Amino acid sequence: MRNKHLIARIYLSFTLVLLYVPIFYLIYFSFSSGKNMNKFEHFTFAHYQTLFQDNRLLAIFLETILLALLSSLIATIIGTFGAIAISAMKKEAHKNTTLALNNVLMVSPDVIIGASFLIFFTALGIGLNFGSVLLSHIAFSIPIVVLMVLPRLNEMDYSLIDAARDLGANSWQVFSHVLIPTIMPGIFSGLFMALTYSLDDFAVTFFVTGNGFSTLSVEIYSRARQGIDLEVNALSTVMFLFVLLLVGIYYFITTKKSRRKNHRVIGGLVK
Amino acid sequence: MDIIKLKHITKQYDDGFVALKNINLTIESGKFYSLLGPSGSGKSTILRIIAGFSQPSSGQVFFDGKDITDLDAAKRHINTVFQNYALFPHLNVFENVAFGLKIKKQPMDKIKPAVKEALHMVRLDGYANREISELSGGQQQRVAIARAIVNEPKVLLLDESLSALDKRLRKDMQFELRAIQKKLGITFIFVTHDQEEALSMSDEIFVLNDGMIQQSGSPVAIYDEPVNDFVARFIGDSNILSGRMIKDYEVEFANNKFKCADGGIKPNEKVEVVIRPEDLDIVAPEKGNIVVTAQTQLFLGDHFEIKAVDANENEWLIHSTNGVKLGERVGLFFDPEDIHVMRLNESQEDFDARIEKYEGDENEN
Ligand SMILES: Nc1ncnc2c1ncn2[C@@H]1O[C@H](COP(=O)(O)OP(=O)(O)O)[C@@H](O)[C@H]1O
Ligand SMILES: [Mg+2]
Repeated sequence: MRNKHLIARIYLSFTLVLLYVPIFYLIYFSFSSGKNMNKFEHFTFAHYQTLFQDNRLLAIFLETILLALLSSLIATIIGTFGAIAISAMKKEAHKNTTLALNNVLMVSPDVIIGASFLIFFTALGIGLNFGSVLLSHIAFSIPIVVLMVLPRLNEMDYSLIDAARDLGANSWQVFSHVLIPTIMPGIFSGLFMALTYSLDDFAVTFFVTGNGFSTLSVEIYSRARQGIDLEVNALSTVMFLFVLLLVGIYYFITTKKSRRKNHRVIGGLVK
Repeated sequence: MDIIKLKHITKQYDDGFVALKNINLTIESGKFYSLLGPSGSGKSTILRIIAGFSQPSSGQVFFDGKDITDLDAAKRHINTVFQNYALFPHLNVFENVAFGLKIKKQPMDKIKPAVKEALHMVRLDGYANREISELSGGQQQRVAIARAIVNEPKVLLLDESLSALDKRLRKDMQFELRAIQKKLGITFIFVTHDQEEALSMSDEIFVLNDGMIQQSGSPVAIYDEPVNDFVARFIGDSNILSGRMIKDYEVEFANNKFKCADGGIKPNEKVEVVIRPEDLDIVAPEKGNIVVTAQTQLFLGDHFEIKAVDANENEWLIHSTNGVKLGERVGLFFDPEDIHVMRLNESQEDFDARIEKYEGDENEN
């Protein structure tokens, strides 16, 4: 038994190391004074200095974050209502069809989605800029929000809604005081997933972004094509820390929430 | 004074299932009522129609003389304690109890003392800041009651509220519920499938089966004079034997003729006879109305439960404070008043009318 545990642990550590080595390799060379990643010369913050003086890149960084926040927020609102509508469907067949359509969007390759958005926008004569990217990010984030919120709705005890009505709540109060708070954890995971989806999307953005607007992933891609510059390493390091912070916040909020109410069933007899 | 009246209520669910068939009942204010019936008999459906969560397919609901059939649940002066409590998991005890008052936009300086008072009533002083998940089942039950009574409803509905509790706690809560009802002086409608619970707590019981009210009345009336064999079997243990009416106040069963207290039935009509196990006294064989042989015997703490058969292979259930020797022939003695005669398929209206009639006759003589 002990042996088995040991093997499992070695396996796990090996996998994790394998996954993280490239990132740390990148971070490591962001502190090298050389021009490329062949050899670590000596320690320097020079690349960070150029990075923070590169106004174009900083603007793109901020815009990428703005795009992520805006698109995830809007997608969460639309997706949550969508999930509520799906769970309220009476006929099982309708429910399943809608869910299937939702899942098709989840699994279709980004390239296809990106290309179709491009065709769509040009056909409608919509210019390719921040707006077009925002619209497409919202669109591909909605299905994931629906998928995160729906399980919460399904396991919700509907007598909670009767209870609220019994205590005098009107439809809006039932919605805002009971329904939304009980599915909040699902909404929150949906928001977080949408945020990461938007942040790390390359393919869709690549299609629908025009001259005036670019996101970090597209920008890094076009820079990397002209030969790797260690400024990109510095940028990646900053991004990595930013994502670490996001995950930390997410973790903090979810564990705090679950400490407040460490129960499995939503509503009903809380054990 | 009548507070709730259901008139000709039927309920057919979307899938075509008819859960209630022509329910008529009257609830007076200030009393403790039970809806008693096996699982699936339609108890919760009646409660949901009274509360306004579900609409009857036909019929009317009256509250204080006004037709409230189409009134929204939020606007009825009725509150419910749900079967699984349905406490809001994202709110703590105080916020749960205060929910209804906050919705009604009461000022905080009114809400606070009201919540405190309600928590005191259910003996949960000092629990206001607890999370729901930190409470035991019994405590959650009390919060659910406090959350309902803080709104000062005229009628409180309780759906199988004690079923999830263990036996000890349940007994305690039965007493407490009764005490709370007395103190508040409001009407309680309590749903249960447990006949003992209904008998011990209620002023009035409605016995339900298959979406129909089988019998209504005081616990004593229902226990002593069940109108049909469903009620007789469902309420307590009983010996039910088929028999034949000889004439008024005389009935034949188990191959013997006995004096009884029932009349108003045609001579020679087939009937069923109910004798409660605790009304049977064990005596010497020659002194008994019937002679039986004891077969099994269980000691249940305060009495023995004895199963015996008579010469005609009828089984008899006897509750006795003293045990018997198994295989021994003993006599069973019962008074004419212990025999309750039921006509086959008699409705409660017919039953009541018949009793009225022959008791009237008796007075004339
Ligand atoms: N929403 C529904 N749709 C269809 N049938 C239902 C629904 N709710 C209850 N029933 C059926 O109606 C009958 C009575 O239900 P209910 O009132 O909950 O019974 P009880 O509370 O006495 O156990 C049951 O047979 C149940 O299966
Ligand atoms: Mg029920």
